[in-house]
Amino acid sequence: MPTTASHQEILHSSSIRSSWGLAVRGLRNIRRLPSAFLPAMLMPVFTTIAFSGTFAAITKLQGFPTDRSVNWFMPLGICFGSAFSGVGLGFSAIRDIETGFYDRLRMSPTPRSSLILGPLITAWMRAIFICVFVITFGLILGVRFTAGIVGVATLVAASLGIATICLGWGLGLAFRFRDMRGAAVMQLTMFIALYLTPAQVPLPFTTGWLHAVARINPVTNILRLARQGLVTKSSVDSLSWSNTWGGLVAILALSVLTLIFAKRGLAKLDR
Amino acid sequence: MTSQPPIVAENLSRHFGDLKAVDGINLSVDEGEIFGFLGPNGAGKSTVVRMLTTLLRPTSGVARVAGFDVVTQADSVRRRIGVALQDAAIDPLMTGTELLQLQAVLYGIPSNKMKSRASELLERVGLTAAGDRRVGTYSGGMRRRLDLALSLIHEPSVLFLDEPTAGLDPMSRIALWDEVKRLNREGTTVMLTTQYLEEADQLADRIAIIDKGHIVRQGKPRDLKSSVGVPTLIINVTPEQLETAKAVLVTFGEIRPSGENTIGVGLRDGASAVTDVVRKLDESGVRVSHLELSEPSLDDVFAEATGHRLEGETQ
Amino acid sequence: MTTRVAARQTLALTKRSTLAIIRQPALIVPSFVFPLFFAALSADSFGKTTRLPGFPLVDSFLQFALASTILQGVLFGSITGAAALATDIEIGFFDRLLVAPTARTGIVLGNLMGSAIFGAVQSAIFICVLLPFGVRVESGIPGIMVMIISGGLIALGIAAIMSAVAIRTGSAEAVQGAFPLLFVLLFFSSVFFPRQTMHGVYKTIATFNPISYLVEGLRSLILDGFSLSAIARSIFIPIGICVFGTVLALSELRRRIRAK
Repeated sequence: MPTTASHQEILHSSSIRSSWGLAVRGLRNIRRLPSAFLPAMLMPVFTTIAFSGTFAAITKLQGFPTDRSVNWFMPLGICFGSAFSGVGLGFSAIRDIETGFYDRLRMSPTPRSSLILGPLITAWMRAIFICVFVITFGLILGVRFTAGIVGVATLVAASLGIATICLGWGLGLAFRFRDMRGAAVMQLTMFIALYLTPAQVPLPFTTGWLHAVARINPVTNILRLARQGLVTKSSVDSLSWSNTWGGLVAILALSVLTLIFAKRGLAKLDR
Repeated sequence: MTSQPPIVAENLSRHFGDLKAVDGINLSVDEGEIFGFLGPNGAGKSTVVRMLTTLLRPTSGVARVAGFDVVTQADSVRRRIGVALQDAAIDPLMTGTELLQLQAVLYGIPSNKMKSRASELLERVGLTAAGDRRVGTYSGGMRRRLDLALSLIHEPSVLFLDEPTAGLDPMSRIALWDEVKRLNREGTTVMLTTQYLEEADQLADRIAIIDKGHIVRQGKPRDLKSSVGVPTLIINVTPEQLETAKAVLVTFGEIRPSGENTIGVGLRDGASAVTDVVRKLDESGVRVSHLELSEPSLDDVFAEATGHRLEGETQ
Repeated sequence: MTTRVAARQTLALTKRSTLAIIRQPALIVPSFVFPLFFAALSADSFGKTTRLPGFPLVDSFLQFALASTILQGVLFGSITGAAALATDIEIGFFDRLLVAPTARTGIVLGNLMGSAIFGAVQSAIFICVLLPFGVRVESGIPGIMVMIISGGLIALGIAAIMSAVAIRTGSAEAVQGAFPLLFVLLFFSSVFFPRQTMHGVYKTIATFNPISYLVEGLRSLILDGFSLSAIARSIFIPIGICVFGTVLALSELRRRIRAK
């Protein structure tokens, strides 16, 4: 037999170390395959500029929670970008499944949780990149954080939350579809879930079916969490615990659901 | 380690809907053996390997690798096996060194040994100079060698090689064979799938022939070949001695068609009869100018077992 | 080659490209679904914005959004058509047509006609879908006819420009790559919101963006009624784009044939 001593040494592959190893790979790929990450980076900037320019006048509506349209639309841009960075790792998983590299990962004795935790760390890193990049850009365009650093923190929390949810959803779909059809479903569903909210105007301004859907859509709470540090202090939407906990609960619940969806999908890969 | 064979499959099946990709196969690979799994594309070779390497769940039957059940003790199996996959599935964006280090992390190799282990393996497969290049720039042969290195990171006791040389040039193929032989000499049990007869013949101590999800023959290549027929001995003699020689040879087996001034005979008692033939010819005063023994090939074995020749046999 | 033969060939190729578009639901469904989704979304999001200073006089936001819906759908559809042409080039079908004794221009024109027909049909469908939701077209039936023709012309013009890209690059990916650019053009214009409500640099950009004039021509037919200026914007500007695009596409075609 080959050196059995080494067998004893390697028996403890830790989840954390493996996850980090996989996360480093994911981060390196940002540099090596920028075309896969660049859209996620530029899209939120575009959304911020385009929406706040096109719909600049909506802030003049009676009772609109801010007088700066960039304040209103930058969090939306960041949420879109974070969502893309989550599902983007779903795309990577599909690519790995198609090339067969994923078989190599699955054959390793690393805990299955690290195959999800690794990409999750990458998604978080990407979301942080997006926050830094877009917020810097937003500040140049005149964004003002009305609640100070706490408002930045709630925005980042929402961004990380959306990245987590979309990662779970993206991986779960990747493991089930195993080809690029999965990517189309990921993008489409993510897009719809984010739009069926007060994405463009505050909830009280929406009407009809959109109002009915947005009211029960948990993503609405996450958007509120993201925006509360940027709206006028006197507004009902401004930073408060009551505007925070709903978002956190939504993030927690959806994250748990989508990560379970991913974990089950992973277990189904050998079927 | 356990005393049971490193790879055992009992009545192993895998169905995809109505398709019975693998239909109740039985296998037993002995420790220290190179076991060849021979069959055409789509015969079920890869499906068997995917089940034995925990990638695919069997529909029914049991398989144990390195003494552990591939379904219920998948993790223990994974720690003991190395697998080089068909098409060398590796991330083109990473460098060879990075891939080896990631592999080391996934297999829980301690950080202080990771670097040395990676460079040791790169050297072993002759990729030291290319270690810092992205895998996307590697040639087919280099990718296969890196793939082999990746599968060795944790010094596995059982190594699976799925079509390790498919699509490689003859030079790279021979280099890979040499490496497999070396690993085997060092004590690693190897199971390799191939559609190349020569590869199975060159490397494997024993082979199993699989066709349409069934194992149709199993055994040592030499035994399998002799099972399908007797070897043919061809001798060259002068025209005057042709009839005398024929009279001697006919006592050893059936005379077979051959060229001018040559006689062919199917040796009833196999290759071991050659010395007797030569002695008898000598006693009869026949001078043999040339002698040649041709064995039945594995393709003959395959044809006899399945009714068709092995496809994809190109070289 | 007689003109009649050339016309017949162009007609046959028009038929083929029209069928090619219709037979790929995965390609055409988004060009219907997305504009309608946005129409429904914005109708319920921006319902209250119609009273903002500078907003044109409308019955509802949906009435305002009809022109945006048509323009989005037609632009999406025509890029898809051009991507199909690029795929023809990729798989070699295009070169097979080139070596056949077909009128060279017929190959490109046939394709463009396919896009034009699809664009006109799309416009008609969008109008039919939104009319029952209380959207009134002030210019009546004649205005609707003009809008449908305009939709066809815009599709033809954009398809021509994108075909030039397709013929030059021979890559469907390059043509699909125009989608982000399309979004930029759509957003930095008055497609989604009236130009009168914008300000600063953004308003300047929207004013220079030709897309603004296309959509405002259509919108004028819907909101203001039949007028010469509305017809000029919704027919003549698209014709200008068509001429420009077609000349560009045909010169790219000549370049490709010469290179053979």
